Amino acid sequence: MNFKHKYVFLFPGLFVLIGILIFPIIFVVRLSLSGWNSYNGLNFIGLENYIRLFTDDPRFWQSFLRLSFLSVTTVILQYVIGFALAHMVWKDIKFQRFFRVLFLIPMMTTPVIMTVIWRTFFHESLGPVNDILSNFGMSPKWLTDPTLAKITVIIVEVWQWTPFMFLLLLAGLLSLPKEPFLAAAIDGASPIRKFIYVTFPLMAPISIGAIIIRLIEASKIMDTVYVLTSGGPGTSTETSSFYIFIKGLREFQMGYAASMSFTYLIIMIISLTFIAKGLTKLLLKD
Amino acid sequence: MNLIAENLSYKPDEQFHLNEVSFNFKKGNIYTILGRTLSGKTTLLKTIAGLLTPDKGEMQFEDKDFLKVPVWERNIAMVYQQFINYPHLNVFENVAFPLKQRKIDNHEINDVVLKSLKSVGLEGYEKRKIQELSGGQQQRVSLARSLVKNAKILLLDEPLVNLDYKLREQLREEFKNIFSQGLSEESIVIFSTTDPREAMELNGEVIVLDEGKVLQVGPAKEIFENPKTLKVAEISNDPPMNILKTNIDSNKIKFEGIEIDIPNHLSNIKDKNFNLGIRASDIELSDKGFEFEVELAEISGSETLLHLTRGSAKIITSIEEVMNFNIHDKVKIDFDINKFYAFEESGILASSPFGGSYV
Amino acid sequence: MGKLYKFLKYSFITIWTVFVVAPFLWALTTSFKDFNSVNGGATYIPWVDFEPKLEGWKVLIKSPANGGVDIIEPYFNSLFVTCTASLISIVLGTLSAYALSRFTFKAGFVKNNDITFFFISQRIMPPIVLSIPFFLFLGAIDLLDSLIGLIVVYIVLLMPIAVWIMVDFFNKVPREIDETALIDGCNPYQAFFKVVLPNSVPGLIVAGMFCIIFGWIDFFFAFILTFTEVQLLPVKIVALNSSITPWWSLSASALVSVAPLIIVAFIVERYLSKGNLSGAIK
Repeated sequence: MNFKHKYVFLFPGLFVLIGILIFPIIFVVRLSLSGWNSYNGLNFIGLENYIRLFTDDPRFWQSFLRLSFLSVTTVILQYVIGFALAHMVWKDIKFQRFFRVLFLIPMMTTPVIMTVIWRTFFHESLGPVNDILSNFGMSPKWLTDPTLAKITVIIVEVWQWTPFMFLLLLAGLLSLPKEPFLAAAIDGASPIRKFIYVTFPLMAPISIGAIIIRLIEASKIMDTVYVLTSGGPGTSTETSSFYIFIKGLREFQMGYAASMSFTYLIIMIISLTFIAKGLTKLLLKD
Repeated sequence: MNLIAENLSYKPDEQFHLNEVSFNFKKGNIYTILGRTLSGKTTLLKTIAGLLTPDKGEMQFEDKDFLKVPVWERNIAMVYQQFINYPHLNVFENVAFPLKQRKIDNHEINDVVLKSLKSVGLEGYEKRKIQELSGGQQQRVSLARSLVKNAKILLLDEPLVNLDYKLREQLREEFKNIFSQGLSEESIVIFSTTDPREAMELNGEVIVLDEGKVLQVGPAKEIFENPKTLKVAEISNDPPMNILKTNIDSNKIKFEGIEIDIPNHLSNIKDKNFNLGIRASDIELSDKGFEFEVELAEISGSETLLHLTRGSAKIITSIEEVMNFNIHDKVKIDFDINKFYAFEESGILASSPFGGSYV
Repeated sequence: MGKLYKFLKYSFITIWTVFVVAPFLWALTTSFKDFNSVNGGATYIPWVDFEPKLEGWKVLIKSPANGGVDIIEPYFNSLFVTCTASLISIVLGTLSAYALSRFTFKAGFVKNNDITFFFISQRIMPPIVLSIPFFLFLGAIDLLDSLIGLIVVYIVLLMPIAVWIMVDFFNKVPREIDETALIDGCNPYQAFFKVVLPNSVPGLIVAGMFCIIFGWIDFFFAFILTFTEVQLLPVKIVALNSSITPWWSLSASALVSVAPLIIVAFIVERYLSKGNLSGAIK
């Protein structure tokens, strides 16, 4: 039988993708083996960049820690809040449609643009947050205190992306079969028991998918940091992406930035694979 | 216009889904593929349709190497067990689809489709959406669509298995009419099923399939009367034929303390030890019979199926009324010795009530 | 027990609603302010706390020569790039997704799931990794600061999404429908276009929506790869974020740029209620 059609379907997309990617990827690898900066051209220095990265650059690894902290925290918050919201608007409730649309809106906005607004919102002297808090004698330095800056970033990220979790989880809830719930009702299960033993386990596969997807996206966090804090104060909100950005496009150490990028990529792929497997074991065993 | 296959084999994983299957299907006939679940029926049908390519073997149709002909160029039609229709089209469009594909003129399409819908009892349903129909109606639409092409080979893969009992009976009747009227004499109909009664009712040539191998081929009556092996006897009877390990001693059949006279048709058996076969319907409750203990009583429709044990012997008997029994009750049963089958220890039929033997 | 739960539920929803709406309201009031209203400290309600002015909004209409902010052109640029890239991504991605769902591929040790993973893994790459190479790549073929160059790059961003959603969706459409189409005389291409595709509209809509959302919100690639000739909306707005630009024009521009996608929110919700979204997730 003629199997040519198999390839006719697959190849256009695959080839276009590979075609567009191939030069950049090879170039990144090549670049990482060079010392391209404002002085040198495309020379060849072997693994020097990588050696420097692994032995002499604590800032990179710190940025990784910060990234892990920020992304894991935001994803957990988004998951918990998103699930709670989805659960609440799942069944009939007053103004159900209104709330559903409302809760979706933040995701539809351009993060960068909203962050511009957040900057004015959290402005330490002219913004509304501190204005209200001053009535309680507080005036937190949202954008200039290292710890608070992290919190501000988390708040903005949670605002922006919880709807994404909310959407995926609500869609999941709506697709659940009715039978287990009927059985639970017959057994006289309380709402809490119903949730722990019926709802949550049934949602496990979807939860895993949603968390992984959000982790992938959250780890790329860049826009928010760029506009809100520029990685600051100091380096307190500097994520890996941002550090690579600084090295590459501000200090023009392109070769070194490339080696960081490549290392970052490998680490991300490995850790995401592990996280996916780990989550699967954890949630699907319950 | 025969469909001839030789030694088709298909082994996608550890097991053979088809194991050296050969057949010779002649036009104008109905063939029933009888086998249990996972015996290879669907695989066989899909291979004939061209949806699967066998690893080995040959298949010819109309003097062409059929294996080289792509699915869409084979003149076939198929009805699945899961009522498959095009969800985005209404009933009329569903049935008209293959004709439109052949670029047949619209007037002609209209006539043929309406005629086909009529023959399956769906007159007036043309504009309905598929999702609005019941299971039985959806299956009829599938059937109408398969008939409308006047295909040379019509494949039906357990088409009734997902319908309720009553509907199944009804459609089974209708099938026979539909096949004789709706199809030309040029067509080959291949119908697969797990239900021996369906095979008997269709009354075509039966191919018994198990684990991808053809066990026996013959008219339905022949399969019923003279099953070639124990396996065939198992597959072609519902409930399965009772098999008892017995031996002959001083001219009597003995097992579990029971002695029975040897009926005439078994008098020529050579082996002392053999497998005795007797159908559930050929065992009766009797006051003067042999004592067995009730293990389970199943009510099936208007029958009762009684699972009995005596020592290591287990049998099933069917009673034509609904009766209540408790586990461990003792009952007395009698065997109709004229309906005894004898299979050698190897499993091959040595002697049957109808005179058949494969030794 | 029930009453407590209800109270908590509505409190939570109220708090979150306030949280969601807060920045919008703030931006709205701020857009009507002027220098005095902003610098005295935070002010909220127009006419009560401050004198509303239309300065922030007028700026959007005035041409750049008069000190205005032109957001019309960036608007349409964003629209054009996002829609074109989404369209191409969906077309190519859907075809590939169909192949990955229905056929088996094996090239050495590379199998279907690996190829699917390859597509989806493109999302793991942070924009920064690819931005420098793309910068040089587009520069070499003279496509920097061009709409087409940006579209090419966006395809890399969006095709994985299309593939992810459509593979999942196609896996849920029974193969038997394709098979029946083949038996009815369709070759595989016709089977796809005449039978599978018409039944995939919900999946396509979901894929389309996600592509458009993720394409529209991109900032980084537009930032790196365009300068003056071509400007996209997010970049334009951020450029206004320098300390010179007054808060009121900033807020007005921001609100206007964010408004359109809210329509998408309505579409998504409608689809959710119809139960069509659920098939695409997982």
